[in-house]
Amino acid sequence: MSADAVPAPSASEPLMRVEHVVKHFPIRTNSLVGRGGPQLRAVDDVTLEITPGETLGLVGETGCGKSTLARCMTRLYDLTGGKVIFDGQDISELSRRQLRPVRREIQMIFQDPYGSLNPRRRVGSIIGDAFAIHGIDSKKGNKRSVQDLMELVGLNPEHYNRFPAEFSGGQRQRIGVARALALKPKMIVCDEPVSALDVSIQAQVINLLKDLQAEFGLTYVFISHDLSVVRHVSDRIAVMYLGKIIETSDSARTFDTSRHPYTRALLSALPPADPDAADRRERIVLSGDPPSPLNPPTGCRFHPRCPKATDKCVTDVPVEAPAFDDPPEHPVACWHPMTRAESLNDFTPEISDTIVGLDPVALETALGATPTDEGTS
Amino acid sequence: MALLEVDDVRVSFNTDDGVVHAVRGVSFEVERGKTLGIVGESGSGKSVCTQTITGLTRGAHIEGTAMFDGMDLLQASEQQLRAIRGRKIGMIFQDPLTSLHPAYSVGWQIIEMIRAHDRKTSKAKAKARAVELLGLVGIPYAKDRVDDYPHQFSGGMRQRVMIAMAVALNPALLIADEPTTALDVTVQAQVLRVMRKVQEEFGTAIILITHDLGVIAEMADEVVVMYAGQVMERASRRELFYRHHHPYTEGLLNSLPKHEGPITRLTPIAGTPPSLISPPRGCPFAPRCPYVFSRCVEETPPLEPVFGTTSHTSACFLSSYEEERRQNREELHARQAAAASEGAA
Repeated sequence: MSADAVPAPSASEPLMRVEHVVKHFPIRTNSLVGRGGPQLRAVDDVTLEITPGETLGLVGETGCGKSTLARCMTRLYDLTGGKVIFDGQDISELSRRQLRPVRREIQMIFQDPYGSLNPRRRVGSIIGDAFAIHGIDSKKGNKRSVQDLMELVGLNPEHYNRFPAEFSGGQRQRIGVARALALKPKMIVCDEPVSALDVSIQAQVINLLKDLQAEFGLTYVFISHDLSVVRHVSDRIAVMYLGKIIETSDSARTFDTSRHPYTRALLSALPPADPDAADRRERIVLSGDPPSPLNPPTGCRFHPRCPKATDKCVTDVPVEAPAFDDPPEHPVACWHPMTRAESLNDFTPEISDTIVGLDPVALETALGATPTDEGTS
Repeated sequence: MALLEVDDVRVSFNTDDGVVHAVRGVSFEVERGKTLGIVGESGSGKSVCTQTITGLTRGAHIEGTAMFDGMDLLQASEQQLRAIRGRKIGMIFQDPLTSLHPAYSVGWQIIEMIRAHDRKTSKAKAKARAVELLGLVGIPYAKDRVDDYPHQFSGGMRQRVMIAMAVALNPALLIADEPTTALDVTVQAQVLRVMRKVQEEFGTAIILITHDLGVIAEMADEVVVMYAGQVMERASRRELFYRHHHPYTEGLLNSLPKHEGPITRLTPIAGTPPSLISPPRGCPFAPRCPYVFSRCVEETPPLEPVFGTTSHTSACFLSSYEEERRQNREELHARQAAAASEGAA
């Protein structure tokens, strides 16, 4: 975190800065106890910068906190800790009313084109809502503006009066895009925008998003679990694991010089649609499943599944910093970053028996006990 | 003789909106010990087709034959099917949570499955087998976990339990319907590995239904491409990816973002799949096909061998000679380039 705490002197001021953002959800064990109970640590101390006009890809597996982070960025969630600074303004403490002008600037596109559109309202009014809520326009006529938007995203403007059910999945996602564009935002957070679509339709929506970015200079945060889609759209990629960002770099580096064992494993798990590449690639099959964010592992959160894990990984949280002679834009949170030539299959974890198997609470007490022992002796 | 021979299967459903022709004349064979991949988009009929074979599409209007082990599954009685399902044909589905009973331990469900087909197996013996199977599919501490309930397992683990159950009686055929779609990639890799291991160990034939061409490239020996209830192309894995004939296959592969190499603009397939209530006359892909010509909208192209092979078939009127097919492509690209420059001017 030290590497990111000091904002890098970059040519352009970042559009959004996410600083040490934390989002915990209380787990209700019984009806009245909300606070003080167990906490689900969905996002745990995330720091990121997003420069204007770029696409930042956010990848990770189910439950790693990527959607929660997206909702913290757009302030759909209140933060448990940390700051979100958008266009020089700290938006993390703003009230709903104060947020309204910010909402014009940051829009969101959701995964489920079925669940995110009200089935009982006509498309025209779904898209036109933005104008009504923000009290804009009317002179040119909302209908006209909405139809322009529909045309822009490749929908037939004559379908203004139709219901969402009359559209296919891909068309519905276009409605979602039109709604997000209505207020001419600076930034759009796309949360798995193409995951629910068939490949041929997925390509249409990806091309649309790229065209709109070129036309309006939009900044995207693009969340997906599909690495080849992320590679296609992103300038930079941040990899998340269990509430933390473990590696950030430009998109090309992620694919050929990734340093974190998890990034490597994630890349190798993706089956390429090419038999030769499938046969020749190195398969790293991780053991186990991602652990629960309710009770994340100590130290590096990836250590229970990591072939390179050592005692240090169990006890110490890795610091995000460039590995070897990597550029400062490529920080990785790992005690044992990988060289290009290394293969994860050549490693086996070296964790001593005294440390392995301890649950975090027991470990904390065990570690906490050491200084007092010294004190008494 | 192939293990399963599906011939001209047609399935339709009566719905409030009209008759849906979900499968419209599908034929394929599955060889013993091999993996047949069926790939297609939502609504292409790939799941309905295999569900029909196993007698799971009640109330549908069904035609055709599906010969399995000398018996036509489409004519079989419910009782005969019961004896086959589980024992000779194992099945895994997309969602492992809804496929397992939440109120019984996974061990109980595997034992039940074994004993339903063979009452002579003692409970103790069946339980020992259940533990053995869970170990085989890579559930750690299988002996302790056999009495756990489905909710105590993660998604990937549940899918392994499903595989354990499906192969419990050593079936000759395993039908896997989108087995990894609900799973994360790292877990998907684990599950695919288990399926390969099972196939090596027992010589099980697998029908793998998926929309993911990456999974196909990794797992399939033979591939069937389905669209709008029909088979568009059938080829071996390498033929399909490197020497495809059908414009739909070509379109699918071109829509995918590349895994490596320079990033170029994606070329999606224009339009959307046709309605199966009133499917268009002629080739179902004609309305979206860049190569379309008049004959395509009048007649339905039959599935015929291409490129001088017998194993590679395609339902398309374009030339079946490789050289001419390449010319088709080049002409199309030239036409598209001309149209693009005209549009820009």
